[in-house]
Amino acid sequence: MKIGNKNQISILLRKRILDFAVKTEKAHVHIGSCLSAIDILIETLVFQMGSRDRFILSKGHASLALYVVFNYLKKISNKELASYFEEGTHFGIHTPGSMPDLIPLATGSLGHGLSFAAGVALGYKMQDQKTKRHVYVMISDGECNEGAVWEAAQFAVAIRIDNLTVIIDKNRVQALGRNKEVLGDGASVAKWRAFGFNVGTCNGHSFADLSAGFSALNKLKNNRPSVLICKTIRGRGIKSIENKVVSNYTAVTKEVYEEAILNLKS
Amino acid sequence: MRYIFAEQFQKIADSDKKTVFMTGDLGFNAFEPLIQSMGPRFINAGVAEHNMVTAAAGLAYSGLKPWIYSIAPFVSIKVLEELRNDVCLPNANVKIVALGGGFDYAIAGPTHHALEDVALMLTLPNMKIYVPSFPQDIAPIIKEMSEHQSPSYLRLTKAHTTNINIPAFKPMRQVIKGDKLTIVVLGSLAVEVIDAVSKFEYKIDLWAVSQLPLRIDDAFEESIKKTKSLIIIEEHVEHGGLGQYLSAYLMKRGRVSPNFIHLATKGYQSGLYGSRDFYLKENSLDKKSIARIVEKYLSRL
Repeated sequence: MKIGNKNQISILLRKRILDFAVKTEKAHVHIGSCLSAIDILIETLVFQMGSRDRFILSKGHASLALYVVFNYLKKISNKELASYFEEGTHFGIHTPGSMPDLIPLATGSLGHGLSFAAGVALGYKMQDQKTKRHVYVMISDGECNEGAVWEAAQFAVAIRIDNLTVIIDKNRVQALGRNKEVLGDGASVAKWRAFGFNVGTCNGHSFADLSAGFSALNKLKNNRPSVLICKTIRGRGIKSIENKVVSNYTAVTKEVYEEAILNLKS
Repeated sequence: MRYIFAEQFQKIADSDKKTVFMTGDLGFNAFEPLIQSMGPRFINAGVAEHNMVTAAAGLAYSGLKPWIYSIAPFVSIKVLEELRNDVCLPNANVKIVALGGGFDYAIAGPTHHALEDVALMLTLPNMKIYVPSFPQDIAPIIKEMSEHQSPSYLRLTKAHTTNINIPAFKPMRQVIKGDKLTIVVLGSLAVEVIDAVSKFEYKIDLWAVSQLPLRIDDAFEESIKKTKSLIIIEEHVEHGGLGQYLSAYLMKRGRVSPNFIHLATKGYQSGLYGSRDFYLKENSLDKKSIARIVEKYLSRL
């Protein structure tokens, strides 16, 4: 697909995220993370994954971005998605456990997704070497504060799984500060390379760059898991909160919504 | 019981090729045959238990049947969130083998003891807890665990044997018959209790519990109705263990309200280290202390 068309999908799904966010007017939507992750999710789920591959959103607070991509893929219906944030919905703030074929792990507590993904990838590999079912997991750079991420990173390398791709949404901001000022940059190339991963980097808002990043990693055949470190901007598209700590807790009010829509149109 | 476990587990691993064994870097001098026979299905997940639990959940998701193994506190207290979120909430088919229930790790000290694990596991959805009382329980328990498509937790202790004839494994079984005092004991502390009460012939109605949650045997309620006296003994803290489980059950049923004594661990009063028996004595759970308490109780009847 042409890059221009991918950009059209991005505009469409960014608008959907904003439409749901303004409906709730709740900060818990985690609009900042949804807008940093959405382009990576589109590239991964729509253009990279095979039908039997699995995707785990370890940074479960960006769930709305995942829901709208699944809706675009017709795996979540409009009616189902309309229940987002409503009483009795499947689609709350964090990814649910009620649809394991689509969402293999209910997340929300950070630091679980990579271990789970490594287990699934190993399980697929042990049961069938030929099918090459691939497992993708998205974590955030803030999530790299978690010790379990590094337990999992060591494990994934030790068990020599080449059917696992870690995708880091590197928006450089966490809940209460900038990553570098909290525990340092957990999404640095040096750290992941030191742990034994194949490492790629890209601009997480450029479809050309994302696609090239995946392609370069896919070419490597060395029994190592891969990580694609995607530089992103938290809250991208809402200039007043872009790249700011506040973007984690910004409720999309009508005013914020109008600012974002104007920006999308431009 | 780890040698018996290894021997019995070997049979499961041989017959079911979807079975995978993960250890947190433990099993030296016990699992070498398993390593040989299981090949890549034997995984040393390293000293990284948080990862091991969640990776096992991932293996289960892929269709395999993982068993994870470490010292009890490292696969219970340390990883409670992973067990809750990734194993129990999705009802993943993961088996947890926890070595060293209670004071079993003795002079290794409190960091290696598991006095709270039963309580913690009982709070988790879908979790079955197996607390073998005698070495011969291991085979039927791991067979049952392997056949059941849900999480379960096996609290292993060192092998204890007893001279009396023990009925086959059941979640709750009568071990000694008597008519003055009903005693219930959790897991392998049963052996100490059998020794402690053997001199009170025909007076003690002794029951062993080896699985929780538990469907209470009607005959057990009959026993309490008859004796009107109940002592519950466990190598576990008072809160959340068998004592509170059974007493809450009996209160809900509202049929019997016996005189009740709960013998549980009280903690590390001296702060000193020693053998399992040292800790049992400090907590009045050794043979002599139990015999003394029972004798005193019987003398008042």
